[in-house]
Amino acid sequence: MKVGLAQITPVLGNVHKNFDLHLHTIEKAKKKKIDLLIFPELSLTGYTLKDLVEEVAVRPEKDPVFSKLKTLSRDLSLVVGFVEEKEKGLFYNSAAFLSGGKILHIHRKVFLPTYGMFEEMKFFALGRNFKTFSTPFGKMGMLICYDFLHYGTSYLLFAGGSEIITVISAAPGRGLSEKEKYESNRMWELMGETISRFSSAFLFYCNRVGFEDGKHFAGGSFIFNPVGQLLAQASYLDEDLLIQKISLDDIREARKKWPYKRDEKPEIILHSLQRIVQDYED
Amino acid sequence: MKINPAFVEKVLTSFIKEELAKFHFKKGILGLSGGLDSSVCAFLAARALKPDNVIALILPYGKAYQDDVQDAQEIAKLLGIHSETIDISPMVDAYFSRYPTPDRIIKGNKMARERMSILYDFSAREKAIILGTSNKTELLLGYGTIHGDMACGINPLGDLYKTQIRQLAVHLGVPEKIRKKTPSAGLWTGQSDEGELGFPYGTMDEILFQLVDLRKSKKDVIAAGFKKEDVKRIIHLIKNSEFKRKLPPIAKISSRTVGHDFLFPYDWDK
Repeated sequence: MKVGLAQITPVLGNVHKNFDLHLHTIEKAKKKKIDLLIFPELSLTGYTLKDLVEEVAVRPEKDPVFSKLKTLSRDLSLVVGFVEEKEKGLFYNSAAFLSGGKILHIHRKVFLPTYGMFEEMKFFALGRNFKTFSTPFGKMGMLICYDFLHYGTSYLLFAGGSEIITVISAAPGRGLSEKEKYESNRMWELMGETISRFSSAFLFYCNRVGFEDGKHFAGGSFIFNPVGQLLAQASYLDEDLLIQKISLDDIREARKKWPYKRDEKPEIILHSLQRIVQDYED
Repeated sequence: MKINPAFVEKVLTSFIKEELAKFHFKKGILGLSGGLDSSVCAFLAARALKPDNVIALILPYGKAYQDDVQDAQEIAKLLGIHSETIDISPMVDAYFSRYPTPDRIIKGNKMARERMSILYDFSAREKAIILGTSNKTELLLGYGTIHGDMACGINPLGDLYKTQIRQLAVHLGVPEKIRKKTPSAGLWTGQSDEGELGFPYGTMDEILFQLVDLRKSKKDVIAAGFKKEDVKRIIHLIKNSEFKRKLPPIAKISSRTVGHDFLFPYDWDK
């Protein structure tokens, strides 16, 4: 299969313009015969929304933009980021997987960063689930940005049977060194390598670029194979459509050689977690 | 504290380019003093926007700092950017002849605000965004004139310490003459930043980096070998200049208030 990561710069708070940007990228991807095209976190809205959250929120089942995206997903599968009004007045930072004219899954961001420069809990409701779902390419799990930096989340997808982990992100660059990238870029790459290697799963990480209110989104989108090898990486600074051909057989090969999945014991993990949680002190 | 200057150049030129495009500006304008920070800013702007879209205003007070004026003019020529030299002494003298003062800080601040006033006027005339030149050291220590040299449309240099600006300057090819100058706010003849603040930039930046970037406590920074008085003084300067880094507080009395819970991004719909 051919996967494409759309490292774009969305327009902040303008769904209409961002849909055009999606459309344009989808057209390009179709010409390149891409089977799965992934957009970054909040790709339809931009990231630093603050009080704009409610203005850009949609209900995918009724929304005209989503009905167009559903139609487009007959030609190629899509992952998009958006603000979802799941219930009246409850807004989620969500990722939708669309394929064959339907929405196959929506992941709602669980770990909403609210520290330092981040204030997501002020504006978003938090999701409560990490679910593996079926796609035309095998079982997949999705994470949004800070979800991925909590390694338990990837474990849940691994235990749930994910063969592909898709992470969409709007990660700002932080920290300078003598390297030609931000210190924070390394953090994502380290996690990508580790999780793909020890989940024997493909890992697609799609970040965005561009500036919002001085924050610089640090690109560097990447694809790791199920033995933790970097297959492709986009620029740290520029817009890009990263295209990579992958063989889904690599998952089987990796799991034959490294039986982490076969030997996994979620019930023991669950028991231990229950004991830990029961022993919490106030 | 070491940076990769090529990477930083790419980031900051993209920042300048993108911010101007978002607000539909083609041109950038800046006050060029002949010192390091404004020279670095001019170099970045010339690369980001093409020299023809950059305007440098050289704003001396009378005949003071003639060498700097000449250096600034040379920088403008070197980069091929537009420049205009305006003597601010008639405006400043007109004011102080009515309200005289021997206080050179008051006089210097007035001059900084006169320059700001001219920059904003030219910004409107030329449809150009003002590029700020305050660095991270100055912003943290409050070493600048509020609504004077601290005023701008966007600031590409505000997250770089003076030490890091020096590294960037070498990479950008800022002439050695400018890089070797004693840093000065130019509020009066013979003023030097390091003399006035009381320590060399190297020490200031190291202490600030420990406190701010690495989030070390006062105790830890002193334990790392910095002088207790220096660390205390730096913390004092940071604390007492927060007002310069923020919009003024608004008394919140309604149910939704600008700056409190009316919260929209700067780059709204951009």
